[in-house]
Amino acid sequence: MNSDKMKKQSKFNHGIIDCDVHQGVKSYEDLKPYMPRVWWDRLNAYNATLPFLLYRPISLERSDASPGNELPAGSDPGFAKVDFLDRYSIDRAILTGNLLSVSAHNNPDYAASLASAFNDYTLDTWIPSDDRWLASIVVATQDPLLAAQEIDRLGSHPKVVQVLLTSGSREPYGQRRYYPIYEAAVRNNLVIAIHGGGEGDGINPPTTAVGYPTTNFERHNILAIHHMSQLNSLVCEGVFETFPTLKVVFVEGGLAWLPHLMWRMDKNFRGMRSEVPWLQRKPSEYIIEHCRFTTQPIEEPDNQELIQMLRMMRAEKTVLFSTDYPHWDNDSPLFVLNKLPEEMRRRVAYENAVELYQFNVNPIGAGGNSR
Amino acid sequence: MIKYDAAEVGEIETGKCKIFNINGRSIGVYYNGENYFAIRNVCPHQQAELCKGKISGTTLASKPHEYIYGKDGEILICPWHGWEFEIKTGQSLVDPDRYKVKVYDVSIENNRIMVYM
Repeated sequence: MNSDKMKKQSKFNHGIIDCDVHQGVKSYEDLKPYMPRVWWDRLNAYNATLPFLLYRPISLERSDASPGNELPAGSDPGFAKVDFLDRYSIDRAILTGNLLSVSAHNNPDYAASLASAFNDYTLDTWIPSDDRWLASIVVATQDPLLAAQEIDRLGSHPKVVQVLLTSGSREPYGQRRYYPIYEAAVRNNLVIAIHGGGEGDGINPPTTAVGYPTTNFERHNILAIHHMSQLNSLVCEGVFETFPTLKVVFVEGGLAWLPHLMWRMDKNFRGMRSEVPWLQRKPSEYIIEHCRFTTQPIEEPDNQELIQMLRMMRAEKTVLFSTDYPHWDNDSPLFVLNKLPEEMRRRVAYENAVELYQFNVNPIGAGGNSR
Repeated sequence: MIKYDAAEVGEIETGKCKIFNINGRSIGVYYNGENYFAIRNVCPHQQAELCKGKISGTTLASKPHEYIYGKDGEILICPWHGWEFEIKTGQSLVDPDRYKVKVYDVSIENNRIMVYM
């Protein structure tokens, strides 16, 4: 489909906010100016830059979205603006980066430095290139105190909207060692995003709780267990009682597992509430108030079944649209949004994100954008 | 059916697929060293530009933990979600009756590659 036709068809009577777009570097050399000399040699060393244990039959970055000269997709903001923002008439796009196994590295100081350098690179290179880009700052969770320092260092930047953690972690995120991260996020009025990444890599536990899958197919089918485990931990440990203003968005974990988990949590709460006396409400109520879930990779059952599932998870409140551009399993806006009934589409495509990120918006078409 | 002049013989290297706009449609013409194939440049899944994907072989149906590589040069893989299509028929490998890409007849006349639409 040519881009003019695509643009015409994507003009719903509301805007589109994309909550998961991946930007990256052209090469790790780009990060050197932002990093102490002591870490530079690791940026070019085989298997030392970031841990990664995976063969992908299809490359992570879309081969048809390369800006040319064999550069990786997502490494050129000017190209991404035309190939993505303009082509699909995206109003705002939240950048989530590609440092998705940084928290799996064995060296917490190197990991923290790499995350800081990547954040500075994003703010210097991507954010000034177009008003529609918004930034996540990625933090390395090995040392939550260093992570909190990074959040305080950049959290007041007007284009930073969230703190990004990966779903792979050494311990479940509800545990108290991570609270400095949530304190800093709340202090800086930032959302926490938990994006897939780092599962089974480096110092993290295996890709599944029963061991390592043999193929990427088997791995990809089951990835959402990490999002499930993190959500379960945050709710059960009372994180939303401790941090009543905290909001958490679960990115790239799919959706259909949520009704299952909410029902199971609410049922079990009736009989096992005494273990978690700090919970004042049903688990699902914390989830619907505090947590959001992005669409990609959307499940693809029969459309009636998809809509039923979305209603079960209160999508009109809990679901945010995302493409995952320019990764191989990205969803095009038309493909996803055309499946939804109009009222739900408006909430998912635009309004839920406006409310979560507290965007100041003028009426559609007036072109307002203060964040 | 109308015959369209797409390109000159030699313009498409062996093993490559080149994308042309023919009668308002984006179409990939692939040359395997013997024959030319024309295939619509749109994946039926999410409308990605299919012909920008990799031309490859693939694993043939086999018993568990047996690997048989075949169909080398006969499979086009979408650069988005990795869906595989038979270049000759346009049929998807996983669901050939439901997901098909349009393919067109090709002939060579006076050193020109002609596509029938």
